[in-house]
Amino acid sequence: MRAALFAVTASLVLVACGGPQTSQANNVQANMSNTASPPATAAASPAPAPSFTPVSGDQAKQVMHERHEGMETIGKASKAIKRELDASTPNLATVRENAAKIADLSQKASGWFHAGTGPDLGKTGAKPEIWQNEQDFAVKLADFQKAAQAFNAATTGNDVNATKSAFGDLGKSCKACHDKYRSEMHH
Amino acid sequence: MSRQVPLGDAPLSRIGIGQPVWDLSVRLVHWLLAALIGFSWWSAEYGHTDWHIWSGCAILALLIYRFLWGFVGSSTARFASFVRGPRVIARYLRGGWIGLGHNPLGALSVLALFIAVAVQVGLGLVSQDEDGIYTGPLYRLVSSDTSDRARDLHAAWFDVILALIVLHLAAIAIYWLRGRNLVSPMITGRVEPEAGTEPMRPGKWWVALVCVAIGIGITRWVIAGAPPFSS
Repeated sequence: MRAALFAVTASLVLVACGGPQTSQANNVQANMSNTASPPATAAASPAPAPSFTPVSGDQAKQVMHERHEGMETIGKASKAIKRELDASTPNLATVRENAAKIADLSQKASGWFHAGTGPDLGKTGAKPEIWQNEQDFAVKLADFQKAAQAFNAATTGNDVNATKSAFGDLGKSCKACHDKYRSEMHH
Repeated sequence: MSRQVPLGDAPLSRIGIGQPVWDLSVRLVHWLLAALIGFSWWSAEYGHTDWHIWSGCAILALLIYRFLWGFVGSSTARFASFVRGPRVIARYLRGGWIGLGHNPLGALSVLALFIAVAVQVGLGLVSQDEDGIYTGPLYRLVSSDTSDRARDLHAAWFDVILALIVLHLAAIAIYWLRGRNLVSPMITGRVEPEAGTEPMRPGKWWVALVCVAIGIGITRWVIAGAPPFSS
């Protein structure tokens, strides 16, 4: 009798622990196929390490352009998310859509910081310090990428507080890098 | 006092005699505002946006308090006593004006600074940063694009405040060179008596407390997002 009770309790605990995880994974899949922008596999795999290989000429200009547009899109998405999360009844669809956008672009950011794309080449907010501290920069970029993935995953549920908390972590990862590696020259 | 100052040499305002000109409210608001504007600049310049927002909210409370005190405070604090038209300003410039408190020209500078700081606070309240991390408490009253424009204007408008501060300090320096110290009355609250001026009528302490309560109350409501207007 006691053994049976124990077995029932144990299986209940297992179900309780396993339940949310599997359903979360399902949600990620569902969400990804809904928004259709980033493939589900991209969100699940770890972000590639940033490439600092030097580029020049048109290729460098292209990287800077892509970086500028990408950062601007991330900023806009983040603003849209904050507006929803600060509302009394947040529109979670808007949050999810923009969270997926940020998660996708955060992966692409690994290719935005090739050497030779600093302020020497043109107007940019990227400080030369990035390429003087490549290791530290790579850590901060990875933190951002992880936070973007975690936030994207958090938005799939309906727990607004968990979403807000993950969004707070994402903001911290933005700020950590921007404080050190972004100048005011990017306007 | 470790150092003895011969009574005959000390300026009247420094040893507590002389006539009252600025009450405690006026002086506290003045120095707190100076400190908070300095802190606001520093916190924005060095990326402490959260502190910057709190500093702006504190300035809002101060401005509301000072605005109310400008109607119900001591005589020299009241707008009605110092805001004058062009004719009185012209008379002052010709040397034919006697009075206690802000002179008619200085009053323009006071008003300009007050309005410029109020505009700055208003812009900050509806601003959002570039990264979607920090927002003024009333940012949801306007669109995202407007919040971005408000932030850019907020940054540009600081130059207006800076210019007015430079003017303010230059005026103090000019009066100093002409033998008049404006700084010590703003510290001690007293000025050397001048013949033919009416004494300052002080405000009531409980009226000041009511004004403080209103200032803090309105500011708290603003910090909460001004319910029910932004939901």
